[in-house]
Parts: sequence; C-alpha cells; structure tokens
Amino acid sequence: MIDETRLIEIKGVSKSFGETQVLHDVNLYIRKREFVTLLGPSGCGKTTLLRILGGFEMPSTGEVLFEGKDMTGIPPYKRRINTVFQKYALFNHLNVYDNIAFGLNLKKPEQLGCQSRAEMKKEIMRRVTRMLKLVKMEGYEKRSINALSGGQQQRIAIARALVNEPEVLLLDEPLGALDLKLRKQMQLELKAMQQQLGITFIYVTHDQEEALTMSDTIVVINNGRIQQIGDPKGIYDEPKNAFVADFIGESNIIDGTMLEDDLVRFQDTEFQCVDEGFEKNEPVDVVIRPEDIMIVGEDVGMLTGVVESVIFKGVHYEMMIRSSDYQWKVQSTAMQPVGTRVGMTIVPYNIHIMHKMKEA
Amino acid sequence: MKRSWYASPYALWMVLFAVVPLVFVCWYAFTTPQGAFTLENFREFAKPRYAAIIIRSLKHALYCTFLCLLIGYPTAYFLAGRGFSRTQSLVVLILLPMWMNLLLRTYAMMTLLDDNGVLNAALSAIGLPKIKVIGTEGAVVMGLVYNYLPFMVLPIYTVLKKMDYSVIEAAEDLGCNPLRVVTRVVIPMSLPGIVSGITMVFMPAVTSFAISTLLSNGKLRLAGDLIDYIFNQSSNPNRWNIGSSFSLMMLVLILISIGFLRKVDPDNEGGGMW
Repeated sequence: MIDETRLIEIKGVSKSFGETQVLHDVNLYIRKREFVTLLGPSGCGKTTLLRILGGFEMPSTGEVLFEGKDMTGIPPYKRRINTVFQKYALFNHLNVYDNIAFGLNLKKPEQLGCQSRAEMKKEIMRRVTRMLKLVKMEGYEKRSINALSGGQQQRIAIARALVNEPEVLLLDEPLGALDLKLRKQMQLELKAMQQQLGITFIYVTHDQEEALTMSDTIVVINNGRIQQIGDPKGIYDEPKNAFVADFIGESNIIDGTMLEDDLVRFQDTEFQCVDEGFEKNEPVDVVIRPEDIMIVGEDVGMLTGVVESVIFKGVHYEMMIRSSDYQWKVQSTAMQPVGTRVGMTIVPYNIHIMHKMKEA
Repeated sequence: MKRSWYASPYALWMVLFAVVPLVFVCWYAFTTPQGAFTLENFREFAKPRYAAIIIRSLKHALYCTFLCLLIGYPTAYFLAGRGFSRTQSLVVLILLPMWMNLLLRTYAMMTLLDDNGVLNAALSAIGLPKIKVIGTEGAVVMGLVYNYLPFMVLPIYTVLKKMDYSVIEAAEDLGCNPLRVVTRVVIPMSLPGIVSGITMVFMPAVTSFAISTLLSNGKLRLAGDLIDYIFNQSSNPNRWNIGSSFSLMMLVLILISIGFLRKVDPDNEGGGMW
C-alpha cells in the first residue's frame, strides 16, 4: 500500500507569530499514499503545520520539500495539494455541482485531456458525478449549500477537494462539527476513500480515538514540538513520554525510581518490569493504562487501596482507587462498591517506564 | 398588552405623515383642481423640458451609482481586509460626513470648488490655470457621489466583513490566483452588499434635490428640483395636481428598481435597509 518514496519532507521547520513560537524545529517525512495524522491538544501547532503544507503560512525557518523540491514561496494555487477546511468553507453563492466543479472550471481544457471547451464541460460533469457518487451525494447537484446539513456539507467539501485529484489531501479537523455517530461513520468512509484513491492524507485532529482509527502514522505534537511518530499500535502500547501516554488513551502516571534493569519502585513497592537501559536510581515516570490494572483480593494485591468513586461507562466501570498518596484510575467489567478495600496487581509487561519529561 | 402595541406611536406617526399624505398625492395626481378624475396630469411628462429633466436625473443617478461602486468597492474591500488595524477609525472617517447636514456638506463643497474657491486658489498658487467646476454636470455628479458614497461603502463593507476568510483560502487552494479569487469568489459572494449599496445610492440620488441646484448655480435641475419647482414656484393652476403626478411617477420608478434589485438578492442579505 504505502510507497516508500518520501513525498513530503519537512526539515527543521519553525514558525513564530510575533513573539510566540508555535513550531519548534519540526522534522517529518510523509510517504506516498500514507494516512498521516497530526495529533495534539488545541494550540499545539498542528494546524499551523498543516497550513504551512497548504501554502497558507510560510515557515520562519526550515524548509518543506515536495518530491525533493523546495516548496517555500509557492502559493497555494500552484501546489498539487488540496485542503478540506475546518468549517468547510463552501461557496454559498454556488450550488453543490458548481462547488465541486470550482477547481476544474479554473483549468484549461488540455489540462483535463480535452480538445475543446465543450468537451471539457462534459469531462467536468463526468468527474463531478463520480465524486458525488464517492461521497454518497448523488442527486444533490442543484441543491443550494445552505440547504445541506453539516454532514452533507462535509461530504461536499471533501468532494470539492478530491475532484482535483491532488497528490496530497490536507484535512483540518474535518469531522469536528459532526455528532458522534456520524463522525465514526465518516472516519471509516474517509479511510476507505483514501485507500481506494491512493492519495496521501494529512489529517489534523485533537481526537486520539479518531487518530487511532484512521491513521497509518500518528504524529503526536505538543507545544509546537513533535513528541512521537509511530503507527497507532506503537504509539498506544509504547508511548515515548508521559505526555503521549496521557494524551493517547487514559493513563495513570506516577513518579517512580528505576532501581536496576527490569526493576522499578513506586508507592514504596518494588515491581518487575521489562524496561532496560536506565541509569541506576534514575527518577522516572511510570505509566500504567487503567485497563491493565487487575483488581484482586486485598491480601494478594501488590498494592492495596480504597474505592473512592465508581462511574459506569458502558462497556466497563471506571473506578478511582486511593492508594497512599495516589488515586489510581482502574477500568474493570466487575464493579467494586465505594469504600471497599481492594488489592491491585499489574503484570510486568504492562508497566511502562519513561524518562522524566524535560521542558516540554 | 401585546408587544405590537409598543409600535403604536410609530404607527400613528406613519399614518399621519406618510400614509395620509400619500393618499392626498394619489388623489391630486388623478384629479383636476375641480376634483374631476383625469389622466391629463401625467401627460405633462411628455413635455420636452420636463422629460429632459427626468432623463438627466436618471443619467446623473446612474453616473453617481457607478462612480460610488467604483470608488466604494475597493474601499470596502480594503477596510474589511485582515491585517489592517485602523479599520474602526477609518470607518468613522467615512461616516463622519454623514453626521452633518446634507446642505452644509454641499455648501462646503461649493466653497471648495468655486471659481474663487480653495481648489482654484491652490491651482493658481502653483501656477496652473483656474478650472471651472461649479455649474458643470461634473460638479453635480461629484456632489452626488460625495453625499452618497458612504451608503455604498457600508453595506459592502458589512458583507465583506462577515465573509469567512477561509472561503478565500479555499479558492486559492482550488487554484485561484489572486485576481480570480476576487472575480470568482469575493465579488459574487458580496453581491448582496453591492445590490444593497446600489439601491441605497441610486434611489436617493435619482430623487435628490438642492445638491444639483447649488452646484450648478441653478442651471441643472433634477427631478427633485422639478417637483419642488412645480409645487412652489410654478404659476400653473394645476401645479398641485401635476406635482403630485410627478411624485407618484418617481415613487413607481423607485418601486420598480427595488423590485428589480430584490430579484438579485432575494434573501435580502445585504443589510436590508430598504
């Protein structure tokens, strides 16, 4: 599926708006036909990075290469990149058909492989019709944009960008305004479209679940710096630092001390783990997923604690369990009533040790 | 008490000073001074000297509207643009003349453009020959443009200001160079504002009076001046009836132009002042 050739290379890109630096030395490459998600909290710089790729912002330093050629200074209308904007940005003076045909109408007949204007008109109609089919909006050609629901506008915005057959499609939180059910459905559809068309997608979101569902590669960004690049499973299972662990899924993050290889101490208890290469007695962040903590009898647990609250979450219960100075978040299908003293065990494989985060 | 009652002072005012006079206008327009029904009053339009004035009014109003659009659109576009921090003060600057009475503004213009006015004094000072402005058609159109320009700038500015900037980025993204962004997206999307501006300039311009009389030294009268003249100065015994028929004709003319412009902007997005 994914071509190994590097389509886009971002080299040492920094961006400042006045005094505030929003991107710090970003290095990243994107391969052909890859679905890359830029994931991070709002204000982390992910949208700015996307806008640099689209040509709407210029990097303060560094360069962006497209197929090896520097793109700096090339305006958006000369890039083989199209964007799906956060608020769709549809043209409400045009109907659905003319919105989708907008980009094609700007081209010359020979650019679409046509001899004449009339032939081009037919070609445009053919392409627009195919796009409407792809986004499941056949029959809406003559509708006004204002008469569409949010989900439908979203589909038109996607069709309007894809009809130009870009090398790369940039998507800026395109599903943010949709309700949960529609969002999930659109996630799968977008992924299917991307695979069907073989176009590189660069997708910006703050929704970690969305990122895990759709991406080939996730780029976690915080405070303008890349925290981790990896595939969804790698990022979830092996977060590089406490920020990633916390942002991707829920986590218990607790201070610990690495006593020696494969042995860590936290909450005055020694635990076997599977991490090596830390300095002796190095202070570390210990990350444990809520679903990886098993509740056992008080007498057999590695840690003991008191259940302080229970929330029913549908598939499981989420319990907050106080053990000395830390409140553990634990997910389990079996409910323990508030006030119960319980034991907790964690298998070595599920204890993730991370270097303390330096300045973020 | 129902909400609608709160509007009763206004309703009363309207009935007394708009509806009732309008009924009188209609009555006079279709009757002789003796009170008999007639359409004779409308035939006065056919008289060449009156027809010429009506045509001149339309012509001047069209010139004025066109010039206002030509000057006003780029101004509004500039004001609504991003990255310009003094928008508010400039908008105020454009509004400022509107706070003053129309006649005062026109007198000010006379002082500036008079044969011995500020403009000519400046020209003489740098050794250029004086130019004659007051009394020409140009002066009248300038006066109209000066008075009505803010009415063109404001509705266009409002529409452009409301426009989502990402729409412009979307156009660039889809392949529009800067010129095409303007022709394919900005102008079509600001059409409601343009329509509103045209309406708000053309209608008062076509019926304006005093401005032209003052700036042309009484040589060039427009429809508004004509109606004023018929009612107040003419010696024709039918003057009230003829004047009313003229007023009615102007009203119909304006209604037709509103109807026409409504077709272009059916949702009345351009501010809806009319």
